[in-house]
This record gives sequence, C-alpha cells and structure tokens, in this order.
Amino acid sequence: MSSFFRASFTIAAKDLRSEVRTKEAFNASFAFSLVILVLFSFAFDPSSEELRTISGGLLWLVFSFAGALVLNRSFARELQNDCLDALISSPAPTSAIFFGKTLANFLLLMIVEIAALAVFAVLYDTHFSKQFWPVVLVMLLGTWGMTVIGTMFSALTVNLRMREMMLPTLVYPLLIPALMAAMTLTSDLMIGTPLGKDNMIWLRVLAGFDFIYTVLAVVFIDIVLVG
Amino acid sequence: MTQTNTRDRILFVLAAVCAVLLSVNFYKIFLVLPDEANQGAIYRIVYVHVPSIFTGFTGFFVALAASGAYLATGKLKYDAFAAAVTEVSLAFATIVLATGMIWGRIIWGIWWAWDARLTTMLVCWLIYAGYLMLRRAIDEPTQRARLSAVVSIFGCVDILIVWKSIEWWRTQHPAPVLSVRDGGGMGPGMEAPIYWNWLAFMCLAAILVMVRTRQEQRSREIDSLRRMAHSY
Amino acid sequence: MIEARNLTYMFYGFAAAFVILVIYVVSLALRERKLTSEIDRVRRMIEREK
Repeated sequence: MSSFFRASFTIAAKDLRSEVRTKEAFNASFAFSLVILVLFSFAFDPSSEELRTISGGLLWLVFSFAGALVLNRSFARELQNDCLDALISSPAPTSAIFFGKTLANFLLLMIVEIAALAVFAVLYDTHFSKQFWPVVLVMLLGTWGMTVIGTMFSALTVNLRMREMMLPTLVYPLLIPALMAAMTLTSDLMIGTPLGKDNMIWLRVLAGFDFIYTVLAVVFIDIVLVG
Repeated sequence: MTQTNTRDRILFVLAAVCAVLLSVNFYKIFLVLPDEANQGAIYRIVYVHVPSIFTGFTGFFVALAASGAYLATGKLKYDAFAAAVTEVSLAFATIVLATGMIWGRIIWGIWWAWDARLTTMLVCWLIYAGYLMLRRAIDEPTQRARLSAVVSIFGCVDILIVWKSIEWWRTQHPAPVLSVRDGGGMGPGMEAPIYWNWLAFMCLAAILVMVRTRQEQRSREIDSLRRMAHSY
Repeated sequence: MIEARNLTYMFYGFAAAFVILVIYVVSLALRERKLTSEIDRVRRMIEREK
C-alpha cells in the first residue's frame, strides 16, 4: 500500500517540478481565466444583484475551461521521447501513475482557481468572507471531481489523433452533475446563504461523484493505458 | 445458410409484431381515446414520448452490459453490439428530446424545463454522441472496443448520478414536470397504450440493433479483408 | 383558437418522431449499400491479386 503512495507522490512531484520550471500550464490557464472573467464583466453589469445569483455558474465555467487546458497536457506531455511507454513499463503500478498525475493536476488547478477567485472577488465586488471556508470546501470537492475525470480521459485520448477535440467532448458531459452541484452551491454561498438543509443534497452529490469516479478511474486506468 | 434464415425469420416476426401493435395502438390513441381534461389533444404525445424514454434507457443498460461483456471476454461481437445499441438509443433519445420540447411548449409555454427526465436524456444524448464520435476517431478495432467500453461505463454511471440528483432536488423544489399523471391523473384506459407502444418500440429497436450490429461486424470484416489484400 | 394550436403541435410532435426514425432508417440503408459495394470491391481486389 505504501509503495503505491510512494510511487504516486514521486510521479506527482515529477509533474509539479516540471510545471514549476516551465510554468506553461499555469500561465496559460490563469491568463485564460482572466480573459474570460474580464469578458464576462462586459456582458453583465458587475454591480447588479442578479450577477451574484449566477456568480457560481460563472466561476465554475471559468474553472472548467481553465481546467481543460491543464488536463489536456497531463498525459500528452509524456508522449515525447516515449516517456509514456517508459512510465507504463516501470515497476510503478498504472493506478499509481494515474493517482500521482491526478494529485499534481489537482494542486495545479487549485492554485489557478484560488488566483481566479481573488480576481473574481475584486472584479465583481462579491462579499463572501463569511462563507469563505464553505466556498473553499466546494472548490476542493469540485476540482477533485474535475481532475479525476479529466486525467482519466487525458489518458484515454492520449494516442488519438483528434485529442484536443475529443477530450472536452467526452469530459464536459460527464462533469455535468459535478458542475451542477458546484455551481448551485457556490451561487448560494456567494449571496450569503450558508450550507444548510436546502443545498446539502448537492454537497452529497459532489462527494458521491468524487468517490465513485475516483474508484472507477483507479480500477479502469490499467485497461485504458495498457489494454 | 440456416443462420441467415433464422435471423431473417426473427426480423420478420419482430416487424410483424411491431406493425400490429403500432396500428392497434394508433387507432386507439387517435380515434378511441378522448382528449385529456387538462391538456387537450397534445397529451397524446405521451404515447411516443414515454415509450421512447423507456426504450432509450433500456438501451443504455444493455449497452453497459455489452461493454462489460467485451471487457470481460475480449470478443469483438460484444463491442459491435454495444455500438449498435448505443446508436439506436441515440435515435430514441433524440425523439424523447424533440417530443418533450414540443409538448413542453404547449403545456408550459417553454421549450425546455430542467426536470429530471429531460435533463437526464440530454446528458445521455451528449454522452452517447461523444461515444460515437470517439469510435470514429479510432481505427484499430481492439483499441476502439476497449476505449469505448470504458467511456460507456463511465457514461452510464454519470447518467444515473444525474437522474438521482435532479430527482432529489426536484422533490424539494418542484418545477414543471412533463407528465400526464401530474395533470390530474389519467383517465380509464389511457395508461395501457403507453406500455403497448413501449413493446412496439422495443421490437423496432431490436430490428434496428440487429441490422446495425451486422453492419458493424461486416465493416470489421472489410477492414481485415483489406489488410489481407494489401499483404499480397 | 387554443384547440387548433394544440392539435397542430400534436401533429408536429408525431411528425418529429416519425421524421427522426425515418432519417435513421435511411442512414442505415445508405450504410448498408456502401458496405455491400465496399465488400464487393475488396473481394474483387483479392481475386485480382491471386
């Protein structure tokens, strides 16, 4: 069991180290989030009350678009120099490779999202300081769901010729329940409604989604990568 | 030779049953049953809308089983069957969405409502369409079968999650539901044709799936023949 | 007035379902024809090679 986690952390560290050195994915993702946030502020009046009710949806749209940039590269970066083959034939189990990459993507995405959240709070003048930790909780759960599915399908589409198009086409429909839950929860939190009986159902949906797909991904990653 | 005969005989029987059921039912639907009290004539759409929902959902369960069977056994015939069932179910899902939108337009004045059934069908449609697009992007049959089986499994789990979560949400926050039952209960004899139509649609779906599966297998046959031709 | 619209939309609904099915069946028939001609072509190619 510990060798599984050791291998996962090694892979995660490798991916993160490579990202820290080049900062490609982070820059592209963050720049893209900024652009979308600014463009949306032209579409809506930033001070209006109704913006606050859709703010959750807007935020998660930004997160998922930025996420696609990060997740597409996840396995694609290993194609050069046969790194993917080397990884698969290494003693590390494929589930550890997957888990490590998921961890790295998750951390990277969380950093991009927190930066985007700060920009969002400034540009759209939202006051959610009372609900800050619940917002972070929803971000953690939602991002994990997005990352698990995204990394899994990054592995699935890595060898396809239309990879950049197939990944969003497959991933976004699958993410609909998680995005629905995250958007509804975040919108509620942004206007000050605390997590209560009313929206607890969505929190459970999010947690269930994360759990189910983490298990499914770890089980099926071997079939996808090796066959 | 006998195999083709049995297959053709099955197809003929299915077509006959389907034709009889549909004729009897449509006669009943249009000429015998009265207009429903609250909804008027438009409610008859339910006799196409609901059986299509049942057929579509049965299809995705069957595709899930076929994908699992492929992953378990490695026999490509299961993959051909899964692809055929998914494609036919996509056609029925399209019917559900189209009829649902037309029905909703009259009953609620809106083209779309985020109720459990329509939303689940929409997600279902998107996932099936993605599955079929994926298949077109992969040429190698084993890789295609393997990857689409995984997508099928992930997709089916997702559809169940969407269905359940919207249902739970809607029990707390009721919203327009496209159902005749909610319109004040169905009159006598109105419910039965739904199930008979479902049977008819299942026969139709079975015919389409059988034809499509054979086409899928033949296309693989052509690929291997072509490879053989090029090797000379 | 409302009754007429109701009836019209009902026909639209049934028509939509019918059209979708017809489109699908036609696509199946077209694919069948393409497959048959393809299989004949490949078989002929093999005969020639032999």
